[in-house]
Amino acid sequence: MTKELTPQEMLRIDLTPPNRDWMDIPTVIKPGIYCYPAKPEKVEAVGMPNPHVWSPLDDDWGLPEDWKETFLEGMRERLNKHRSFKIFMDICVRCGACADKCHFFLGSGDPKNMPVARAELIRSVYRGEFTKAGQILGRLAGGRKLTEEVLKEIWYYMFQCTECRRCSLFCPYGIDTAEVTIIGRELINLFGLNINWIQEPVANCYETGNHLGLLPHTFKQNVEFMCMDIEEFVGIKIEPPFNRKGAEILFVTPSGDVFAEPGIYTLSGYLMLFEHLGLDYTWSTYNSEGGNFGFFTSLDMAQRLNAKIYAEAKRLGVKWILGGECGHMWRVVHQYMNTFNGPPDFLEEPVSPITGTKFENAKSAKMVHISEFTADLIKHGKLKLDPSRNDHFKVTYHDSCNPSRGMGMFEEPRYIIKNVCKNFYEMPENTIREQTFCCGSGAGLNAGENMELRLRGGLPRANAVKYVHERYGVNMLACVCAIDRAVLPASMEYWVPEVDVCGVSELVGNALIMEGENERSVDLRGREIPGRGEVKEDV
Amino acid sequence: MGRKLHKGLREILEQKKGPIVEKWRDLIHKSYPPETAQFLKREKNKFSNPIGSSIEESIWPLYDQLIGEADPATTKKLLDNLVRVRAVQDFSPASAVQIIFALKKIVRKEVFGIAQKKGLVKEYLEFESEIDRFGLLAFDVFMECREKVWEIKRNDLLKRPYLLSGGMCPSYMMKRGIKHLEKLKKEITQH
Repeated sequence: MTKELTPQEMLRIDLTPPNRDWMDIPTVIKPGIYCYPAKPEKVEAVGMPNPHVWSPLDDDWGLPEDWKETFLEGMRERLNKHRSFKIFMDICVRCGACADKCHFFLGSGDPKNMPVARAELIRSVYRGEFTKAGQILGRLAGGRKLTEEVLKEIWYYMFQCTECRRCSLFCPYGIDTAEVTIIGRELINLFGLNINWIQEPVANCYETGNHLGLLPHTFKQNVEFMCMDIEEFVGIKIEPPFNRKGAEILFVTPSGDVFAEPGIYTLSGYLMLFEHLGLDYTWSTYNSEGGNFGFFTSLDMAQRLNAKIYAEAKRLGVKWILGGECGHMWRVVHQYMNTFNGPPDFLEEPVSPITGTKFENAKSAKMVHISEFTADLIKHGKLKLDPSRNDHFKVTYHDSCNPSRGMGMFEEPRYIIKNVCKNFYEMPENTIREQTFCCGSGAGLNAGENMELRLRGGLPRANAVKYVHERYGVNMLACVCAIDRAVLPASMEYWVPEVDVCGVSELVGNALIMEGENERSVDLRGREIPGRGEVKEDV
Repeated sequence: MGRKLHKGLREILEQKKGPIVEKWRDLIHKSYPPETAQFLKREKNKFSNPIGSSIEESIWPLYDQLIGEADPATTKKLLDNLVRVRAVQDFSPASAVQIIFALKKIVRKEVFGIAQKKGLVKEYLEFESEIDRFGLLAFDVFMECREKVWEIKRNDLLKRPYLLSGGMCPSYMMKRGIKHLEKLKKEITQH
């Protein structure tokens, strides 16, 4: 789809792009925007169709001969199966309320990134192939036939949506464009056209229990490695429990917290909190992933990968599950897990063993968010905190899309931050809470090769961070999502390089006063806390 | 940074600031597809329209820098604000920075006739050269941004999970890192 420019084309510098109907503007697939294709062995590993080697820049994508029938049959099946999908295809009046709400549109200026237009890519095929009006009137009725070019365009733009659902907030009909993307990606996966950044974690998770393919001993070692850090920085020796049968609580967090910076410092925060409380809990080296890239592949795959959480809870005989700071894990937990793999009758309604609080919101899925758990502890005065240890941070809070829009958690993280830090500043109201802007790299788009796309998508969030940085001197962006922690540093480096990124539990760990701890002259990253003595010379 | 502009010409350029910069803004908006250009013009909230606001916040003071005594740091900051966004969008390098050169066409229409009548043609041409210089500076900024993107890509690759890129286990890497640090420490103490 891309080609070398002719000399004439090279000499032409476009100032004004063509004013034509969107169907007449060909999509040009560009490096920097797309992610690399799925490796065949990773497609094969989970028994998905048509594993093959291909490139988005080639004309031939290695589609099976009957791809068109497969796509349309897949679409028909999903129109019947998901009433929501059928409704979303039928009722959009193209009012445009969602058009300017997407971070990818706001950052790229590409009209096909307006949520209405992105969904229209599929909706036009629905009209052209499934409705009488579209079949007879074609373009007059907004319909078009499915061709290879159309499929490639759908592929390109389905991976320019992070399923963050900000657009759905503004739709007067309640159309959830993220669900259109979910189905769009399912259809793409009927031909082995997934991206590797999603497919490989899916295969790894299926084979070893986490996205990275960490084997149990490696997972354990990494957690213990962070315990060594804690011992050095805090002076407390922690020996975390693994795969312990009969523990009261099973703790599940994204594997990003276990190996990736700055997520590992959030992990230190969890470990310290649990140690301090003397919590009867366990890690699991088999259920070692809270995230679920299956959710970005197909609902069936999401269900398969999610199953291990309840299965492991059952095997270990725990009473309930505590979940770490993850994004889409919470959307799956909150909206799908109970019907995917539940209801988990073998678990009990979660009750905090420290405060006695019943987490009634988790009555059904039996899984409590770490921020809910921590906020409850603070509210009951169960934690001794020294917020001045976070005095070197001026913090703002990024509502991670899924915990905020997906499960409605707005207050708990803010309550925690205000108790563990003295300097907290909100970003403008149309960029936080329900209206929060996505980090720009969710839904499996957190690869490296699509960095231009990620930076475009990250612009609206970064624009708000820049504002509080310039106005209040904010230098720390706190969040409750492992993907946020993995991707926002890159976005900040480009747009607001003075701002760093952390998890809320890291700030808790810094402020937490533990019995027997040292003088705490450094924070959990081993950096000197200003005014608290010198760091030992390291190198 | 640049030469001091002739007082008479400067007065004309100041008088015409409103229409010139507004036309310049429209022209930059129109470098995006029509639907987007409409939106950039319509939406006034800074946070709902980051591209539009970066344009609006840059071009007015940038024009002041052009007709006044340009301060290098301020000019660079303003150009950065304008170009950084375009450096990651669907523009070729030429399309990204030509919005500066395009200002010449607008100013020529608005001001050249008056300048000619007042016998300020030479001064006018010097002013156009100043716009060219800003255009070239914009290209410097564009390249800085692109190099930053590649630096971020490289760092991302280095930071990304070793296992996903077919490498080795992170614990091993960390241990290897510690051994390396210990070796360095030893070397430092020995010397």
